[in-house]
Amino acid sequence: MDKGFKAMATAALGAAVFAFWMWAYPQALSYQEQNQLFLFSWDYFRERMALPGGFADWLSEFLVQFCYLRAAGALVFALLSVLLQRAVWRAAGAPGERSLYLLSFVPSLLMLVYQGNVEVLASFPVALLLAVALCPLFKKAGWHRLWLIPLAWWLLGPLSAIPVVVSLLDLFFSTDTSAANASDSAEKTVFLRRHFSDDLRKIVFSATLILWTGLTAFVEYRLLAAQYPPRDAFFGLNYYRLVESLPALQWVIPLVTAAVILVCGLHLQVHSPRLAAGVFSVLLVAGTWGGVRLAYDRDTFEVLAYDWLIRHERYPEVLRRAERYQPRNAVSACSVNFCLFTQGQLQDRLDEFYQCGTEGLVLPSIRDNLSDITSAELLWMMGMPNITLQYCFDLEASIQNGRKSGRFMRRIAECNIVNGWYDRAGKYLDILEKSLFYRRWAQEKKELIRDGALVAADPVYSYIRQVRFKDDFITNYSALDAMMALLYNQEKGNFMAAEYYTAWQRLKGKEGAQ
Amino acid sequence: MRRGFLLLLAALLLAACSGPTAFVEELPAIYPDYAGVTIPAGIAPMNFNLPAEYSRVYVRVSGSEGGSLKVRGRWAKFPIRAWHALTERNAGGTLTFTVLGRRDGRWTQWRDFVMYVSDAPLTDYGLTYRKMPPGYTTYSRIGIYQRNIHNFDEDPIIESTLTPGQCVGCHTANATDPSQFLFHLRGAHGATLIQQDGAREWVTTKTEETIGNVAYCYWHPGGRWFAGSINPVRQSFWTGDQRLIEVFDLASDLVVVDMQDHSLVVDPRLTDPDYLESTPAFTPDGRTLYYLRAKAYEVPREVEKIKYDLMRADFDPQTGRIGEIETVIPASAEGYSVTFPRPSYDGRWLMYNKADFSIFPIDHKEADLWLMDLETGETRPIDEVNSDFSESFHNWSSNSRWFLFSSRRADGLYVQVYLSSIDAEGRCTKPFVLPQENPREYYHNTLYSFNVPDFTKARVEFDTRGVYREVFSDERVQATVKP
Repeated sequence: MDKGFKAMATAALGAAVFAFWMWAYPQALSYQEQNQLFLFSWDYFRERMALPGGFADWLSEFLVQFCYLRAAGALVFALLSVLLQRAVWRAAGAPGERSLYLLSFVPSLLMLVYQGNVEVLASFPVALLLAVALCPLFKKAGWHRLWLIPLAWWLLGPLSAIPVVVSLLDLFFSTDTSAANASDSAEKTVFLRRHFSDDLRKIVFSATLILWTGLTAFVEYRLLAAQYPPRDAFFGLNYYRLVESLPALQWVIPLVTAAVILVCGLHLQVHSPRLAAGVFSVLLVAGTWGGVRLAYDRDTFEVLAYDWLIRHERYPEVLRRAERYQPRNAVSACSVNFCLFTQGQLQDRLDEFYQCGTEGLVLPSIRDNLSDITSAELLWMMGMPNITLQYCFDLEASIQNGRKSGRFMRRIAECNIVNGWYDRAGKYLDILEKSLFYRRWAQEKKELIRDGALVAADPVYSYIRQVRFKDDFITNYSALDAMMALLYNQEKGNFMAAEYYTAWQRLKGKEGAQ
Repeated sequence: MRRGFLLLLAALLLAACSGPTAFVEELPAIYPDYAGVTIPAGIAPMNFNLPAEYSRVYVRVSGSEGGSLKVRGRWAKFPIRAWHALTERNAGGTLTFTVLGRRDGRWTQWRDFVMYVSDAPLTDYGLTYRKMPPGYTTYSRIGIYQRNIHNFDEDPIIESTLTPGQCVGCHTANATDPSQFLFHLRGAHGATLIQQDGAREWVTTKTEETIGNVAYCYWHPGGRWFAGSINPVRQSFWTGDQRLIEVFDLASDLVVVDMQDHSLVVDPRLTDPDYLESTPAFTPDGRTLYYLRAKAYEVPREVEKIKYDLMRADFDPQTGRIGEIETVIPASAEGYSVTFPRPSYDGRWLMYNKADFSIFPIDHKEADLWLMDLETGETRPIDEVNSDFSESFHNWSSNSRWFLFSSRRADGLYVQVYLSSIDAEGRCTKPFVLPQENPREYYHNTLYSFNVPDFTKARVEFDTRGVYREVFSDERVQATVKP
C-alpha cells in the first residue's frame, strides 16, 4: 500500500507540473527557449565547460531547447520535478514513513514557485537534481570526497556543496546504538572513549572537507571564472539570467533541500501516519498554490503570453485575453494593436484597449530581451528590415547572460537575405544549422541563398523587397509616421503602413489633446 | 620474391583506392588567403583550410634558405616550434607551399604558392583588441583581450562580465607599452581607468566646463599627458540595402589631460561648439598634436555633410599649451573626410582613413587606408592593403615596420584584424588576417568583431579583482580645468 501511495503521489506531482507548464504557463517555456540557442558542436560544449557549473548549464540548455515544442518542454520540467523529488527521497536513505515521503516533495514544489520568475535558468533545477543525486555517493565516498568535490564543483557549480553538507550531517546524525547495548560500566567506558575518538575524527574530517570545499570554490573561481564578480562565482554563474541580482529562493531552496534530506533521513515516527499524510498533502497543495500566486506577476504573465501567441500567429487569442485583462504598459499595447491590425480591426477597436500614445504602436528601441519583439515583427512586415535587424540584434544582445537566440537569429538572417547580404546570412544560417529545431529551416534558406533568383521568387522576401524603402536615407525615429506615409506612397499595396499611419495620427492627436 | 609481390599488390590496391593525383594549374582556394603575403619570422603558424568539400589536406612547406615542414589533417595545422624554426631560418627568404587536397577519395594538387618571410622583425608580444558583436545599440558580452602573436593564446584583460552594466571602452597604451595604458568604462560607475607601472587611478574627466568624459585618447610619448576627445556617440540606421548603420557624434571636443595633477588643458579652439574636434594623436617627438575637425551639422539629418579635416597643432610638453594650429588635409573642401590619424613611432609616416563623410569609417564601404610621407607631405592610398570593403582603425608596431588594421572584407560585417609590413620607401605588403588555430572555424563561427586593435610590446598585467573592487567603490579622482 505504501509503495502504491508513493508511486501515486509522485505521479500526481509529475502530472501537476506537466499540466502547469502545458496549460497554465506555456509562455514561460517559449521565453526560456528563445533566450538560448543550444548547438550540437564541440565548441559550444567546450565554452560551457570552461566555467564552474558548466555541465549543468550545458545539460539544461540541451533540455530547454525542447521547449520549442510546448508538450516536450512541459514534459522536461515535469520530469525534472519528479526526478528531484525521487532523488531527495533516495538521498535521505528512502525511509519507509509515508508522511515523510511527502516532505520530499518540498524542493520540487519550491522550485515550481521559484520558476514563476522567468529569469531562473533551468541549470538551477538541473544542478540541484544532480547535486542531490550525488548525495548517496558522497555519503559512502570517505576520503574520495577530496577529488569528488572539485569535480562536482566544476560540473555543477556551488550547488555541489549540497552533497558535502548532507554527507557531513549524515556523519553526525547517524545513530549509534552500541552504547545502549553495553552491559557493564567497563564496556561503557570503552564505548565512551571510542565515541570521543570517533567524534574527534568526525570533526577533523568535517572541518577538512569544509575547508577543502572552500578552497575548491576559490581555486576554481581564480582559474575559471576570474572575469566574474566573486559573488557570482560563489552563488552560481548560470543559475539566474540577470546579473546584479540574487533572489532569496536561490539560496533558500538549497538550504531547504538539505534540511529535507536530513529530516527525512532521521527515521522519525509519526503517531498517525494517515492523518499526517493528509494534513501534509493539504499543506503542500495550499502552500504551492499560494506561492505560485504570489510569485507569478500577472502583467509579466500576460505580456509573455502575448509574445508567445504572436510567435505562433494566434492573434485572435491575444485579443480575447486582452478583453479580459490587459496590462497597462506599452509592450502590451503594442502587441494588442498589432493583433488588431492582423484581424483588420485596428481602426475600429483601437479605443477599446489600453493605449499609451504612439509608443503603443511601435516601441522605441528598449534595451531588454522582450519589449521590442512585436515592434520588430511589425516593422518587418511593414517593410523596414533594417530597423528590424537593429531591434532583433538588440533583443539578442540584451539577453543578460550573453546567450544567443534561435528566434532572433533567424530573423536577423532573414533581414540579411532581404538585403541581399548572403555572406552574412550564411554565417547565421550555419550557426542555426547546428541546432535541433532551426536546422531544417536553416538548410532550406541556405539552398535559397545559393540562387538569388530563388530569393526573388520567395513570397515573403519578395514582398518585403517590394514594399521597403526605395530610397536610402537615415532613419528618423521621431518621425516614424512620416516614414510609414512614405512607404505607403511609394507602394500602395502596403496596406499595413497606411493602417499604422492612420492609427499613429489618431493616437498623436489624443496625446496632443491631453 | 614473395615479399616483393605483396608490396606490389599493396601498391596496386592503394592506387586503385585513391586514384591518381590530379594536378591543377591554379592556386589552391585556401582560407584565409595567405598566398603571397609577407609575414614576420616567429609569428604564429599560418594555418589554413581548404574548401569544406576537401576532407583531408597535405601540405609541404620548403624554405628558400633551407628547412621544410610537412603536415596532414583536416586542415593545414603547423606545429608551433617547427614553424618558428622554419620562419626564423628563412627570414628574408620565401616559404613555398605545396598543397594537396582529398575530395571524394581523390587527391588534387594545386600550383605551389609562396609566403615571404620579412627580414623586419616583429618583436612585440602581441595584440590587444576589444571583441564585441558588430553592434547596433546594445551589447551583452564584450571585453578587451590580449593575443600572443607568436602563438594562439588569447587572454581576457577585462570582460564586461566582471563589471555588469558597464561598457568597456577603448584600450589605449602608450606607443604599445602596456606599463602605461588607459580605458574608459561607461555606465553608472563610469570613469577612465589609468594604469601606470601597475598603479591604478580612476579619473572622472567630466567637468562643468567640458561636455563629458574623454573617450578616444592618445598618450603623449613623455607619459605626462594624454589627449582625449569627448564624444557623445549615437547610431542610426539607413533604410536601403547598401549600407546599414551610421555612427556619429552629437558633439565633440578635445582636451589634453595632465597626469601630474589631473587637470585638463581646455583650449577654446579645440572645444568650439560649431565644430567637432576628435581623435587626437601626438607625434613621437611630442611637439605636435594631430587631430580632426569638422563643421557641426544637425544629426542624423545632415550627417552626410560632416567631413573631417586633418589638423596639426603645436604642443608644448612643458606646459601643455596648444600653439599654432594649421590644416594639413583640407578634406572637407575636397568633399571627403579624414579619420584616425596615426603617426608611425619613428616619425616617418602618418596613416589615416579616407571616407566620403563621418568619423567612423568602419561602417563605410568606401573607407580606405591612406599614407602620408611626413618628410614630403605626399599622400597616397595604400592600394596594397585596401579592399572593396571598409578598412578602418589601424596602429603601428613598436618598431614601425608593421602595422595592423581592421577590415570588413571577409563578409561585409564582421571585422577582422589584418597585418602588413612597410619598408623604408613606404611600400606595403599584401596583408594577412590574424592567424588562428583553425581559421575557418574560428572566423566563420565567431559573432564578434575585432575592435580598436593595437600592438602591445609586452603582456598586459592587470589585477581584475582589484579593478572589480574599485569600479563599484566609486572612489574617483575628479579632474579639474587648468587655469
